Amino acid sequence: MKISARVKQLRELSLNAVEKISAERALLMTQFYKSDEARELSAPLKRAKAFEYLLKNKKICINEGELIVGERGPAPKETPTYPEISLHSMIDLEILNSREKVFFRVDEEVKNIYEKEIIPFWKGKSNRDRIMNLMTHEWMNAYKAGLFTEFQEQRAPGHTVLGYKMFTTGFLKLKEEIKESVSALDFYIDTQAFEKFEELKAMDIACDTIIMYANRHADELEKLAANEKNSKRKNELLKMAAVCRKVPANAPETVHEMLQHYWFIHQGVITELNPWDSFNPGRLDQHLYPVYKKEMEAGSLSTDELYDLLGCFWVKFNNHPSPPKIGVTASESNTYTDFCLINLGGVKPDGTDAVNEISYILLDVIKEMRILQPGSMIQISKKSPDRFIHKALDIIRTGFGQPSCFNTDAIIQEMVRQGKSIVDARNGGASGCVETGAFGTEAYWLTGYFNLPKVLELTLNNGFDKRTNKLLGLETGYAHEYKSFEDLMKAFKLQVNYFIDIKIRGNNVIEKTFANWLPVPFLSLLVEDCIASGKDYNGGGARYNTSYIQGVGLGSITDMLTSIRYNIYDNKKFGWEELTKALDADFNGYEQVQYEMIYNTPKFGNDDDYADQQAVAVFEIYYDAVNGRPTSRGGIHRINMLPTTSHVYFGSVIGATPDGRKAHKPLSEGISPSQGVDKQGPTSVIKSASKIDHLRTGGTLLNQKFSPQFFEDEDSYDCLTALIRSYFSLDGHHIQFNVVNAETLKDAQKHPELYRDLIVRVAGYSDYFNDLGEDLQNEIINRTEHEEVL
Amino acid sequence: MKGLIFSVKRYSIHDGPGIRVTFFMKGCPLNCMWCHNPEGISPFPENVIISDKVGEREFSNSKEVGKYYSVENILEILEKERVFINQSKGGVTFSGGEPMLQFEFLFEALKACKENGYHTAVDTSGYSSFENYKSIIPVTDLFLFDIKHLDEARHIELTGVSNIGILDNYRILLNSGKDIMVRVPVIPGFNDDPDHLKKLKQFLLSTKTESLKKINLLPFHKIGSSKYKRFNIPYKMDNVEPPAKGRMQELKEFFSEVGVKVKIGG
Ligand code: SF4
Repeated sequence: MKISARVKQLRELSLNAVEKISAERALLMTQFYKSDEARELSAPLKRAKAFEYLLKNKKICINEGELIVGERGPAPKETPTYPEISLHSMIDLEILNSREKVFFRVDEEVKNIYEKEIIPFWKGKSNRDRIMNLMTHEWMNAYKAGLFTEFQEQRAPGHTVLGYKMFTTGFLKLKEEIKESVSALDFYIDTQAFEKFEELKAMDIACDTIIMYANRHADELEKLAANEKNSKRKNELLKMAAVCRKVPANAPETVHEMLQHYWFIHQGVITELNPWDSFNPGRLDQHLYPVYKKEMEAGSLSTDELYDLLGCFWVKFNNHPSPPKIGVTASESNTYTDFCLINLGGVKPDGTDAVNEISYILLDVIKEMRILQPGSMIQISKKSPDRFIHKALDIIRTGFGQPSCFNTDAIIQEMVRQGKSIVDARNGGASGCVETGAFGTEAYWLTGYFNLPKVLELTLNNGFDKRTNKLLGLETGYAHEYKSFEDLMKAFKLQVNYFIDIKIRGNNVIEKTFANWLPVPFLSLLVEDCIASGKDYNGGGARYNTSYIQGVGLGSITDMLTSIRYNIYDNKKFGWEELTKALDADFNGYEQVQYEMIYNTPKFGNDDDYADQQAVAVFEIYYDAVNGRPTSRGGIHRINMLPTTSHVYFGSVIGATPDGRKAHKPLSEGISPSQGVDKQGPTSVIKSASKIDHLRTGGTLLNQKFSPQFFEDEDSYDCLTALIRSYFSLDGHHIQFNVVNAETLKDAQKHPELYRDLIVRVAGYSDYFNDLGEDLQNEIINRTEHEEVL
Repeated sequence: MKGLIFSVKRYSIHDGPGIRVTFFMKGCPLNCMWCHNPEGISPFPENVIISDKVGEREFSNSKEVGKYYSVENILEILEKERVFINQSKGGVTFSGGEPMLQFEFLFEALKACKENGYHTAVDTSGYSSFENYKSIIPVTDLFLFDIKHLDEARHIELTGVSNIGILDNYRILLNSGKDIMVRVPVIPGFNDDPDHLKKLKQFLLSTKTESLKKINLLPFHKIGSSKYKRFNIPYKMDNVEPPAKGRMQELKEFFSEVGVKVKIGG
């Protein structure tokens, strides 16, 4: 495939557009909330009317040459804010404007609007303020100390993916469903009947609103067509207008209609609120295939047209950076990526292999577009063909970090274990980073990262946090008072339970703030069974409701506990007194101790049971603390193991640790070993990582570093495919190949201690990068630079 | 009985089919000028000093190169890798050094591996007695057989030993019914002159049987050079440069006339 001039131009436009803050949404939202109408309405109707006001008054943007229309802001990358969720202060805006990375330009006009209109109205009234006022003293202290983060503090609950139903249903049909649901309300015995009535009314308004929004685009397109000189473009514009008149009111019947249908839905969701992970078309190859097939057979769509439409669609995601954050979450997840993750492959609802022509076509699109967003992944089941994996490896080898590889069979088992029907499970996949979900039927919310190593630090200090100078945890004793390793583990378990209790209490209050003040009638239309139950997505209306707490630092905490066990209890290499002093001194003057810990102590990631059993023990403690606890919207708390970038923030709040890590350095990522400690190659990492029970999580993340030379020929593709399939046969959930570039190799030359695991290949042989002479290292760097495919 | 092994490599993907575990056995009767595993030549355990940095301070530790493994140890390691081996249709490779130098251990290890269902490969210089080869044939699925030079005098010059026995063994293995992959190191200025290459192609062609499955052309590289320093062995290849990519491609074409698959690298 070659990208057309049109798509190339749109791609350039997207890449060159500067991220900016747009005050449009904040201003409209403020106007609406100030209105008399708003004051009188119940929460769902207020939100529905706000949604209507936004989409009625926002600027319509149509970019030159594009085929799929609609922007969240007034122009590409002009990003709205959500003051009802969290309010940016003038200082926040200044930081966003001036920070070096992941900046958002804020012009004088926006600053003015914020100062005069937005801040005065919303100050103290955002949901973030509400949350912070409602949290307990213990929650606030633990939060400030970095024991956990809070997802809903700056964004609305999200983590939901569009399912099969909405790719084949128009909003006019939903209006009928709503009508049925209303007429089925039983005001005699259902004590919730009135709340449902209000919610369903709100949903009905949301249906009309999205249709109105599409029609506004059609109007604008017709206007443009009338003035268009170029007859080809004129026809295109008219065709696009017709598409916008048809969808999303009616079910899409062509590829063009389906992509535009989805894109209106996407905009609706990310305008209504700012849910986590934006929104996601999920199993795109499955949804597109039937309409594609029909059009191909009818001869109504050429391959060029198909690629053009897909290219235009891809660019749309890249035009929409993640809404800007402030404070703690800026260091915790600092990226423009909004974690939309397109799923390819997997299985069909009947369990047969789902890889189809569109799966391969979309891999082509991913390869050719090479843009940050949307993210992509392949679902690999036992039934997936090798060819599909090989084709993905072809993209992975270019070091672009996409697509990542997921285990369909594990995902399905995870969901069935959680009580989902087999068909709902097969229709699901992973979204965000690695989160398992039933697409179109589940509200699976991430609620915050949990800092496991920090809990250990407190356990060694009788619950006291030296950094914030506060007693945070239980007074279970000081390090030297633990007579045995088992004693220490018992205390650790008590502390984990204690902090998880604090977190869950917070979650259950926070969920209610969204149910009561910030329902999402539009999003509720999209997720089954909200209409049928008359309940909002934020209030437990989805068929399945799950809240996750994400464990962070498994590799690090395993190495810390293993080091304690090995050096203090089992081999008595040094005592607690010496270790405590060494940690307090950040190893200055105690380099010998640090050396023993780093180089002569077993580590996670080497298929060494001595170390890996601590990973299993921590996993079980964490699982027991969280899994199965009810949430206030009628869902269930569960665990997954992923960090995004929180392992950096979490490391920054922890002093030196018994694994030899210096104070404030990052923790390990996901379930990957700590940086550079896996010395036995990828098979041993996989063996260690698969000792925890992935099937009882909602996702784990494993990152594996490879040099591009590992992808050099057909044989190596076969071996990598076997490597992935082996991990998946051990029930591993996800693996991502991080193909190192020359930059990384240069860094490895400077900081060899962080790259002890880095293996490079040269001409069929391989060696640890660190073990090579400098001249050879340079040669490999040159070659890697040369081979990097861009 | 135990075998002296200086390195165990997992996710070994260039020493036979699939994902393998390669055991590098210590001791080699040859002394090739370009050897990239100089630590594999001496048949005794050796000590090297390994220094590791912690911040600004350096710590040195003496590390033993060469450890004794029992057959059970070998099987335990394979068991750890079993899932990958099964999935990829891989197996186990005994390399070196020269594995035939520890023939008795090698035989027992191969036998145990076979009994446990693993595909077995032996990576050999061909320099051992004919009887020894004959006895391991039943427990070996694949021979990775090095041919370094056809001219005896030149062979002695480059490796320290004659190639007469090596070439005889090669012919015998070709009629063993087991798979053979020939490995030809391409050492610029040593064995890659047109005349020798022509002879070599001729030789491979004229001796070819069903057993010959592949020719691996292994381009010379200097990865081992830092090891020479560590082991205090003089490095004689400083002035030799690795063959260019294009050159290797040419040789690949050239050898494909033998009528089997030719691959650059292992
Ligand atoms: S035969 Fe192999 S191990 Fe022995 S010296 Fe030659 S290259 Fe080194």
